[in-house]
Amino acid sequence: MKTAMIAAGLFLVFVFVWERVDVVRLGYHIERLKAQKVLLERERDQLQVKFSALTAPERIAKVATDKLGMIPPQQGQVFMVRLPQEQPVPAPPALSTEQVRIARNTSIGRVGE
Amino acid sequence: MTGSPPRGRRYVVLLLLLCGFGIILFRLVTLQVLQAAELTAKADRQHQKSVTLEGARGTVTDRHGKVLAMNMEVPSVFGVPASLDSPARVARSLSPVLRVRRDEIEKKLRQDKHFVWLARKVEPEQGRRLEQLSLDGIGMVMEGRRYYPKGPLLAHVLGFVGMDGQGLEGLERRYEPQLHGEKRVTILQRDALGRTVFPKGLKEQVPSAGHALTLTVDEVIQYIAEKELEEAVSQARAKAGTIIVMEPQTGAILAMAVSPRFDPNAVAALTPDRWRNRALTDTYEPGSTMKVVVAAAALEEKVMMPGSMVFGENGRMTIANTTIHDHEKLGWMTFAQMIQKSSNIGAAKTGMLLGEQRLYRYLQAFGFGQRTEIDLPGEVSGLLKTPREWGRRSVASISMGQEIGVTPLQMVSALAAIANDGVLMKPYVVSEVRDQKGQPFKEVLPQVKRRVVSPETARTMTTILEGVVTNGTGTKAAIPGFRVAGKTGTAQKIDPRTGAYSATQFVGSFVGFVPAEAPRLAMIVIIDEPQGEAWGGTVAAPVFRRVGEQVLTYLGVSREDQVKIAMAARE
Repeated sequence: MKTAMIAAGLFLVFVFVWERVDVVRLGYHIERLKAQKVLLERERDQLQVKFSALTAPERIAKVATDKLGMIPPQQGQVFMVRLPQEQPVPAPPALSTEQVRIARNTSIGRVGE
Repeated sequence: MTGSPPRGRRYVVLLLLLCGFGIILFRLVTLQVLQAAELTAKADRQHQKSVTLEGARGTVTDRHGKVLAMNMEVPSVFGVPASLDSPARVARSLSPVLRVRRDEIEKKLRQDKHFVWLARKVEPEQGRRLEQLSLDGIGMVMEGRRYYPKGPLLAHVLGFVGMDGQGLEGLERRYEPQLHGEKRVTILQRDALGRTVFPKGLKEQVPSAGHALTLTVDEVIQYIAEKELEEAVSQARAKAGTIIVMEPQTGAILAMAVSPRFDPNAVAALTPDRWRNRALTDTYEPGSTMKVVVAAAALEEKVMMPGSMVFGENGRMTIANTTIHDHEKLGWMTFAQMIQKSSNIGAAKTGMLLGEQRLYRYLQAFGFGQRTEIDLPGEVSGLLKTPREWGRRSVASISMGQEIGVTPLQMVSALAAIANDGVLMKPYVVSEVRDQKGQPFKEVLPQVKRRVVSPETARTMTTILEGVVTNGTGTKAAIPGFRVAGKTGTAQKIDPRTGAYSATQFVGSFVGFVPAEAPRLAMIVIIDEPQGEAWGGTVAAPVFRRVGEQVLTYLGVSREDQVKIAMAARE
C-alpha cells in the first residue's frame, strides 16, 4: 500500500514535470510557427506589390503597344453587344478586318453578332 | 585530557557563528528588502523584452479593389560602432549593397554612439544580400514601408507618407487617423539564449492594422486622363494641366489628373510645387466657362429665354470706361447663339440684367467662393468678393469669367449640377472605409448640397451647351455617336510683375458632360499657359473628346444605348 502510494506520487510528479516541459516545448514551436507566418505574410505582401505594379494600366498599355504591336481601337471599330441571357447566341458572322467587337458585362450579355 | 572546552573558547565559537548568521541575515535583508525593487527590475530586464509593435498602415484601393497604396515590411540597417573592429572594412562591404558612398558609411560607423542608422527601409533584396554578408556589429530591423505600386498614377490624390509612416499629403494625410495602424507595447519572455519563450498571458497581442480605403476613382479612367493630359501638355508646351472626371449624379470623382506628375515612391528631392493637387489648391479666372452659370441664372430668373435677342454691339462695348471686346464682330443673335459663340458683350449684358445681388446669389449657390468640402486636404475656397466690394464693371467682368477665382473642382461641380437636373452634389473620393478584417466601417453615400436651378432650366441649358459643341466654339470636343454638352473657356492670366492681364499667358479650358441626354461623365480639362494657340476650343476641347471617347467605351456606354434611350423616350 505504502509502495503504491509512493509510486502514484512519483507518477504525479513526473506528469507535472512532463507537462511543464511540454508547455515550454510547445511555446517554442508556436514561436517558430509565428515567425514562419510573419515571413509568409511578408512574402505575400511583396507578391501583392509586384502584382499591382505589373498590372498597372500604364505598363499593360506599354507592353500591348510596344511588345505586342497592338493599337487602341479606332472610331467605328468598337460595338457594344448586350443580349438577354436566355436568348440563344447566334453564331458570330465573319468580322471585317476593321471591326473589333467587344461584349461587356458577361452576366447580362454575351459575345454576339 | 578530557572534559569540555574552556568556557571562553565556546563563547568565541558562538560569537563567530552569530556573526556569520548576522552577515547572512544582513545580506538577505539588503537583497530581499532594501534592493528588492531594483533587483526585480534588473531580472525582468534580463528575461523580459518590451517591444513596440505597430499594425500595418491600411491599404488604398480603387473602386474595383485594385491596390494603389499598401504597406510592406522591409529591412532597415543599423550599426553598433562600439563593437566594430574595422569600420573601414565594414563600410567597404556595405557600400555596394546599400548603394551609399563608402566614406559616408565609415563616417557614421566611427561616431561615438551606441547605435547608428545606416539605411532606412531598403529593398528586401538588399536585406537578403546583407544577411549573406553576416557582418558583426551590423544589424537589421523590419519596418513598414509605403509602396505605391502604380508609380505616378493618382499621386496628387493619394499623397505620400514620411519616413516614420505618417501621412504628409493627399489622402494619406486626410485619412491619417483611419489609415495608421495601432501601436502597442508588448512584453515577451526570453530564455537564457535570448529566444522568445512565450508572450505574457498567452493571448495574441498583435496590434490591429489600419483601416483600408476604397476610392471612387477608377484606375483605368485615371490612366486615360493622365495619359491624354500629359500628351496635351507636352504638345502645347504648357506649364501645367488638370483633368477631373466626375459622376454627375453622385459627385463621385472617377479621375483627377494633374500634370506634371510625380512618383510618390520617391518624393525626397521634390518641392511642394510638384506634389500640390492643383485641381483644388489653385484658383484661376475661368473666362467663358463662367457664362454657363450666368446663363443658367438668367434662364432660371426668366430674364432671358433661349430665343431672346441680344445685340452684340459689333464686337465692342464700353462699360465704366473700359472697352469689352468679342473675338468676332457680332450683331443680333439669340441668347442660345450668344452662349454658343461665347460673346463677352452678351454675357456682360445678361449679368447686368440679373443685377448684382441675383448674380452673387447664383454664384454662391453654384458653389463659388466656398470649399466643395471634398475629402482631400489643401482645398481653397477661390475668390468671390461680395457685391459691396465690387466696382462699376464687376458685374460685366464676372459674367465673362474675370474678377473671380475658381478651382477646377468648383467649376466641374457647377457644370455637373446642370448635368444632374440642377442639383449640386458634394464631390468625394473615398467611398468606403473598411476595418482590418475587411468589414465595412464607414460607407460614404452621395450627398446633395442643394438645388441650384430647376430641372427645366438645366435641360434648356443642356440643349444650349450641346449647341456649343455642334455649332459653336467647342466643335473639337464632339464625340462621334454621342451628344456632348459643354463650354470652352480662354482666360488671360494676371501677370504678377505688372498686375495687369498678360498678353501671352492664358488658361485654355473645356468643361462639359456626356452623353447629354443621360450624362455619365462630367469633365473639365484645363491647360495652363499653352504656347502658341491658346483657345480652350483648340487646346482643351480635343482632350475632352479623346478622354470622353475612351472612357465611354471602357464604361460600355455605346451608341446602341443611345438608340435604345431614344426609342424608350419615343415609347
